[in-house]
Amino acid sequence: MNDNPEVRSVPSDFANLDRRSFLKTSLGGALFLGTVSVTAGLSGCGSMPAGRVSAVGTRMDASYEFRFLTPDDIQLFEALLPAMIGPGLPEQPQARRMAIAGTIERIDAGIHNFGPANQKELRRLFDLLNFGLTRVTIARVWSSWPNVTTEEANAFLERWRTSGIGLFNNGYIALTKISNVAFYGYEDFWHLSGYPGPPQWAVDALPQFQNA
Amino acid sequence: MQLKDRIAQGLESGWKVTDGATLTENRTLEADVVVIGTGAGGGTTAEILAKRGLSVILVEEGRLYYQKDFKMDELSAYASLYQEGMSRVTKDGAIAILQGRCVGGSTTVNWTSSFRTPDATLNYWAERFGLDALAPDAMAPWFDGREQRHNMEPWAVEPNVNNDILRQGCDQLGYSWQVIPRNVKGCWNLGYCGVGCPTNAKQGALLTTVPGALDNDAHLIHGLRADKLVMNQDRIDHLRASAMAADGITPSGVTVTLKARHFVAAASAIGTPGLLLRSGIPDPHNRIGKRSFIHPVNACVAEMPEKVEPFYGAPQSIYSDHFNFSGGVDGPVGYKLEVPPLHPAMSAGVIPGHGDTQINTMARLPWMNSVIALLRDGFHPESPGGTIGLRDDGSPYLDYPVTDYLWDGLRRAFHTMAEIQFAAGAKRVRLMHLDSDWYTTLADAKAAIDQLPMELHRVRLFTAHQMGGCGMGANPEESVVNGFGEHHHVGNLSVHDASIFPTSIGANPQLSVYALSARNSTRLANRLKA
Repeated sequence: MNDNPEVRSVPSDFANLDRRSFLKTSLGGALFLGTVSVTAGLSGCGSMPAGRVSAVGTRMDASYEFRFLTPDDIQLFEALLPAMIGPGLPEQPQARRMAIAGTIERIDAGIHNFGPANQKELRRLFDLLNFGLTRVTIARVWSSWPNVTTEEANAFLERWRTSGIGLFNNGYIALTKISNVAFYGYEDFWHLSGYPGPPQWAVDALPQFQNA
Repeated sequence: MQLKDRIAQGLESGWKVTDGATLTENRTLEADVVVIGTGAGGGTTAEILAKRGLSVILVEEGRLYYQKDFKMDELSAYASLYQEGMSRVTKDGAIAILQGRCVGGSTTVNWTSSFRTPDATLNYWAERFGLDALAPDAMAPWFDGREQRHNMEPWAVEPNVNNDILRQGCDQLGYSWQVIPRNVKGCWNLGYCGVGCPTNAKQGALLTTVPGALDNDAHLIHGLRADKLVMNQDRIDHLRASAMAADGITPSGVTVTLKARHFVAAASAIGTPGLLLRSGIPDPHNRIGKRSFIHPVNACVAEMPEKVEPFYGAPQSIYSDHFNFSGGVDGPVGYKLEVPPLHPAMSAGVIPGHGDTQINTMARLPWMNSVIALLRDGFHPESPGGTIGLRDDGSPYLDYPVTDYLWDGLRRAFHTMAEIQFAAGAKRVRLMHLDSDWYTTLADAKAAIDQLPMELHRVRLFTAHQMGGCGMGANPEESVVNGFGEHHHVGNLSVHDASIFPTSIGANPQLSVYALSARNSTRLANRLKA
């Protein structure tokens, strides 16, 4: 794995940087993440929302228009969700692809409602994870996301969960929260938490559930 | 049964309600009073002023949602009814902020708990901030009046199992507990208060004071964001506001100018200080946005031997104040104990984890109980609260440092919550902490609580109660408004929301906001009618 060219291209002084002390201060963290966003933009990592992803050759529902997630972000979540949700995802390949794609669409829809300030924070986080240099040095993920195994994705999540650096814990919480809410909160997966849904007698009695 | 919908009927009857998204060109409107915000404070203010014959314009940044929209679904409700789509956090991201953003404000999504401001809090305010006029006896008639207006009564139905576990645990340990008063009428005991009451039982601002104001000719403009109060010499001349597109998030580019004799800010303890800071309201002692309080919340979950079904039934009906004032009003921080409802999205977002661990935990949701502790911040020199500031785009943020004084309280609260859950028969208990396992004995849980790092991000922290930031007080050098919510320096500006509290309350704040707003609006009406 270590012959990934991106690893070799990391300047040694940067790789040896005492990241822990640098990232400890939120100022350092903010400056660093700011730099990543600029760098990512310059190096061609697209920061444009993916819009409608063609149904041909993808797993996406072509009618859904992405308003925040970029094609890179979508690949990131395609790599993370199998580790994030684990055995909650269906095993049958087509059902599994649909479950992942639907969850990513709901993540996008959720983030759209977050508004500009938190979108900016998430853009920094996703750029940091998508940009090869920082993916390797900060996330310690050697392969690009489409080549990351579930085990490697899980190891990355564990590193950020158990890290002594608050910024990484915060990143872990952000990634897991948006994924968990979008997955477990969706009707198709309520059964995984034993939630039967709103009581049927109430649904039957309330006017807002009756078709006109 | 409250099946006839008050809002749908009102709209048909010709209420003056404007959706900001429908505006296509800039306009200027004028009224006696412009009220910014439609929650506990703004709704109360608008109804009282309108009933006195004053013309009122109500401004709401969120949109108008009512029974037709309340379908007991978490994902759509969090996206539309909460600030920042339920993603609002403090500046460093360490504390999740639950706050409403819709007509009715947080009262549309709260869990209906209705407490008077504790006597100890009011007495502390009198002594520390010169607010003698707010002593318990003086406030009692205002609490009485609002309890009637919002139908607040101790919940007469048996608590759901989730709440009963708190009661049983307290009983076992000899801790005091009480039944929570709720603002409901004909409640179906479903458990969906947090996503908009589907049955019109909840008597929040949406179904009481806002309709009361509209019946009396007030004009509600929703989907309209208050940008800036514009001064002319020593008075506010007008409010400049931006219409939002139908998504409720993007400004449409249409500007609305609202002129009035008097302006009431009731945009919440984050929104109001933000508005005043953006507006450059005179602040010679630099007090706006200071002393922000949040009742910092930590939580434990427990797996019980019998089914709990924590997603069903009145979400909050039992509380314990055993540890709230036990250390004295200004001693080591006290905490109120309650339980939260647990639906799948909320639970999956609050319980930190991923993969096998997460799905195994989520699979036990029907057997899960949770207890939360709400810390009474702001009563001690080492609990000075947070600060509201402005981002580059003018939007407000809350910077809330967690001091060692508060960490001590959070650790004690973890001990108490685990004790209660095991006393009630829990099979195992887990702290909402990144490093916490499930603990099968109280001894293991207590050992972990003593050892685990009490650090930002690792301890999962929440707030559903934002207070302070425009504190009231007799001394203008240390407060923003006087004891009637009147701004110390700008004659035609009042603040009628939780931002005027000089400390936290020590109880869920909606009744405190209703009562103070009713009192201060009655005085304001007398002033404006004179």
